[in-house]
Amino acid sequence: MADLKKHDTPMVDELKKGPWSSFADDLQTRGDSGSQACLDLLGQLELSYKDKETHWKHGGIVGVFGYGGGVIGRYSDQPDKFPAIAAFHTLRINQPASKFYSTKFLRKLCDMWDHRGSGVFNFHGSTGDTVMIGTTTEQLEPIFFDLTHQFDMDLGGSGSNLRTPSCCIGRARCEFSCLDTQAICYDLTMTYQDELHRPAFPYKYKFKISGCPNDCVAAIARSCCAIIGTWRDEIRIDQKAVQAYVNGELKPNAGAFSDRDWGPFDIQKEVIDLCPSKCMYWDGKELKIDNRECTRCMHCINVMPEALRPGLDVGATILSGAKAPILEGAQMSTLIIPFMRMEYPYDEIKELTDLIWDWWMEEGRNRERLGELIQRKGLPTYLRIIKRKPIPQMVKEPRSNPYVFWKEEEVPGGWTRSLEEFRKKHLA
Amino acid sequence: MAVDKEELKKKILEYATKKAKFKSKMYIKDLYKADPNAKPREVKNAANELVKENKLEYFSSGSTTMYGVPGFGNPEQE
Ligand code: SF4
Ligand code: SF4
Repeated sequence: MADLKKHDTPMVDELKKGPWSSFADDLQTRGDSGSQACLDLLGQLELSYKDKETHWKHGGIVGVFGYGGGVIGRYSDQPDKFPAIAAFHTLRINQPASKFYSTKFLRKLCDMWDHRGSGVFNFHGSTGDTVMIGTTTEQLEPIFFDLTHQFDMDLGGSGSNLRTPSCCIGRARCEFSCLDTQAICYDLTMTYQDELHRPAFPYKYKFKISGCPNDCVAAIARSCCAIIGTWRDEIRIDQKAVQAYVNGELKPNAGAFSDRDWGPFDIQKEVIDLCPSKCMYWDGKELKIDNRECTRCMHCINVMPEALRPGLDVGATILSGAKAPILEGAQMSTLIIPFMRMEYPYDEIKELTDLIWDWWMEEGRNRERLGELIQRKGLPTYLRIIKRKPIPQMVKEPRSNPYVFWKEEEVPGGWTRSLEEFRKKHLA
Repeated sequence: MAVDKEELKKKILEYATKKAKFKSKMYIKDLYKADPNAKPREVKNAANELVKENKLEYFSSGSTTMYGVPGFGNPEQE
């Protein structure tokens, strides 16, 4: 330990001052206890703050045999100053569905990573994977061997691959869930092993599965294919429990906002008036919902979880094409299928996926996400590709273009006509 | 039309080697040009097999994956 080399890091140290714990604290603690890599990381970060430039080189040719994803090559461009992070690759590990681990398992994983890498984890990356930050090229194969042989774990997706599918906690713990999110996530992961491990696409592709429209994995904002639980029948109402909320016997939002006094619960103001489609009615005794108009926003259910529950005729809403801003700015996904039954073996979503991938692989430009391709080619083209009819929910605004475009098959007789017949009625 | 996989692999390798002299990293879409008759999926499968055989290699920035020919370009950066 005596030969640990500490760097002077005044700017990084600023990060340790705020009210929240910072990664800078964690790296410092670990560095002080003997990890030169963590000290070099902080040192390089300080240099980056000073230069206002990253000191990581961009990517590399690293990976494990037979896989084209899961390892992200990172090399310092200042290896003389920071030798402990000269090669500091990241590994993405496919997390268990809904991220359940036993502590025993985690301890064992930490021991392995202390031994073979920096010991620094990110639980979890924004894609969902367990992220192991920092190891050398020589350690990659041994780590992969340990993961697959001792931990029953596999690498996740990176690069132009299918990214590791991820899901919310679903029925395992959440009463709102309309889907077995873990079963769907696991099935898609296993079905698309090849796409997950070997690059296939113009860019990344993401599946995310949320059990209800609260969308805790933010599928709607981040995934190419969002699978979001919903119901077709009616919101289940327990009128007695509604009364109990009104009388103040039950805490709204299960007490989630009780750190401040908001005054007595006002069902009219806090629920009925906030319903986005104004489809609720409260007469002082009974709560009524016009379910045909309900957009499944979850607001009323979130406020009064003991009184209201999603219906029982459950399935998923499928949306396409969310993305972060590389081309054209950030974009939420677009509703494509309002209701799809989600039962094993999930053939319908897989058939849809095949149609989407074939088109995207053919037509997509380099680094073009599905959402951008849909934007470029237009929603009508996309619907034709996935063999769906347009529905009112897809219309964003009344059209401003006065022309109607017909396709040949929509016009009786198509584009060909007999000139003779025409000339009988119209002189040249 | 399904194409012969070994034939396709040969075409991809020839194409990639020719191109590597000018540009050491290629997108999968560039490799489609090796055989315009092959379907994207066939090209992808063939290219990935070539990687397994160490005749091509992956280059990944973390967000995108590209293909290279071993011996061309710098293995550490784009
Ligand atoms: S998305 Fe819905 S079902 Fe999933 S954890 Fe959140 S609230 Fe529960
Ligand atoms: S879920 Fe939303 S739209 Fe439906 S009744 Fe409740 S508040 Fe209204």
